[in-house]
Amino acid sequence: MTSHKATASRPKLTVVPPQGNGRRHARGGRAGFALHGRFRHVYISPAVLFVAVLLYLPFLWTAYLSFTSYDGLASPEFTGLDNYRRLLEDDALLTSIRNTLLWVVGTVVLPVGLGLLVAVLSYDLKGGSWFRLPFLLPYAMSGAGLGVIWGFILQPDGMANQILSLFGMPGADTAFLQDGPGNTIAMIIVWAWQQLGVNMLLFVVGLQSIPRAPIEAARIDGASGWSMFRHVIWPLMRPITTVVFGLALVAGLKNFDIVWVMTQGGPGRSSETLAVTMYRDVFVANEYGYGSAVAVLLTTITGLASYVYLRRQVGREEPR
Amino acid sequence: MSRSLSTNVRRAVLVVFGLAWLFPTYLIIANAVRPAGDYDPSDAVKPPSSIGLFDNIAEAWDRTAIGDTLLSTLLYSVVSPALAVLMGALAGYAIVVLRLKHGFAWFVTIFAGTVVPFQMLLVPLFVGYSKVTLYDNHVGLIIIYSAINVPLAALVMRNFFGNVAVSIFEAARLDGASTFRIFWRIYLPLSAAALAAVFILEFTFVWNDLLFGLTLSQSQTVRPVWAELSALTTDVYAGTPVPIALAAGLVVSLPTVVLFLATQRLFTRGLTLAQF
Repeated sequence: MTSHKATASRPKLTVVPPQGNGRRHARGGRAGFALHGRFRHVYISPAVLFVAVLLYLPFLWTAYLSFTSYDGLASPEFTGLDNYRRLLEDDALLTSIRNTLLWVVGTVVLPVGLGLLVAVLSYDLKGGSWFRLPFLLPYAMSGAGLGVIWGFILQPDGMANQILSLFGMPGADTAFLQDGPGNTIAMIIVWAWQQLGVNMLLFVVGLQSIPRAPIEAARIDGASGWSMFRHVIWPLMRPITTVVFGLALVAGLKNFDIVWVMTQGGPGRSSETLAVTMYRDVFVANEYGYGSAVAVLLTTITGLASYVYLRRQVGREEPR
Repeated sequence: MSRSLSTNVRRAVLVVFGLAWLFPTYLIIANAVRPAGDYDPSDAVKPPSSIGLFDNIAEAWDRTAIGDTLLSTLLYSVVSPALAVLMGALAGYAIVVLRLKHGFAWFVTIFAGTVVPFQMLLVPLFVGYSKVTLYDNHVGLIIIYSAINVPLAALVMRNFFGNVAVSIFEAARLDGASTFRIFWRIYLPLSAAALAAVFILEFTFVWNDLLFGLTLSQSQTVRPVWAELSALTTDVYAGTPVPIALAAGLVVSLPTVVLFLATQRLFTRGLTLAQF
């Protein structure tokens, strides 16, 4: 790395008096001294190279492959919009889109909604962190671990059914993972069990950073309970709610791990999400071109949803 | 008076909710601890009569490839975030401290990498990796895990370096230190806390990954652990007794659970900072 040294190198940094006329911003001072060094691009190139070669290049390649017929062996054959036409007529894809929407709605309503509820109930309570602990424990488990463990709990003769019958509750003979869209809903509930914690944590951080003055002022004006929350606290939470809802939206759209582990999209493709459909089309059916089209569709939906969402959020912040 | 009443209502709601959330946690732990022979789904609620956790873990170790895959996972989740953090720090240093021309454009170029959905990467990576013998290869997985983690590292390090006084850099420079030496000896040590936070976050991400492990590897010596254990619910490990599967799931989750609980404070603080 000696090539970065613009001046004669010194073995130690410390207590060396400034050399010669090396005064401030010495570009013109000593001949050829560049304060910021000459090889600045060398520093940034690993990051740029990795991102370009491993993220952007594949991205563009997938976009191209979505217009081809490709099985991974022979070279891709350009077929124009054929894959996209096929998407429109694919029943499995329709199911997959429906399930993906269920995931998005479910993610926003359950883990985010309940996380908000728990955060609001507990953020200024004495010992609030103890009340929150039960919700945090599941969070550190991975999506795959969650799938493995709950896959066993929700088996037809598994614990869930046995416990329902033990307490004499209805649904003891429910086959949780057998039929759509029930299987998707069961998995969303499992997901909610895990994800509530992180949403709650983010909301608590947001609530604790709200300035006290407006709340006290509203209290003096007689606001309390729901009206206090609705008209004072909720608007002040905007920065954090923007982040949490945005993250939930994207996570719901891209869900793969838990579905793949618990049902692999089955039975009979009934619980596939777009991410699972893409994976199955490529690595099970060997339809690389068609799978790429599904990936592009998923990307487009994610991009559009994020764009619309952010625009609305940012737009609302401007004074009316 | 009404306030203390509402406080009690809040406590009550939280306790009921909390118990509902704890119940599955209890079920999982109780049945992972239960000796595999004692397992009966209709008695799953009863506390285990004796401790079979370690036998279950040993059994899981024999039945599945947990051992090998855990080692690989550890390799990926340490080396890749370390590389990513280093690359991110170098990039942040070039942009903020060395005032690279068009620094912000470079930053956006790197950071926009987070927007790319993983599904857009799988086909080219799979095909490309197969061509250059990186498929089912430790190096291949290290490379992709590093690349995915670079944007976040660059974001955090760029923000962090922005808060370090420029005079430090200028003084060291005029004392004759090279830009790399200043990076290595001053800026990196200064940012140890930020580096650690990013590293932990990315460690957890790599540890929990399923998608790339599933796509880019197949042999048990290369596969990360979740890609292997996800087969517990499918036919590959069919007939695995429930306590053994639960014990396996718990053991593999343990490192990230511990890491998360131990560093929870760090994260809530980091998240507050991340809102700029």
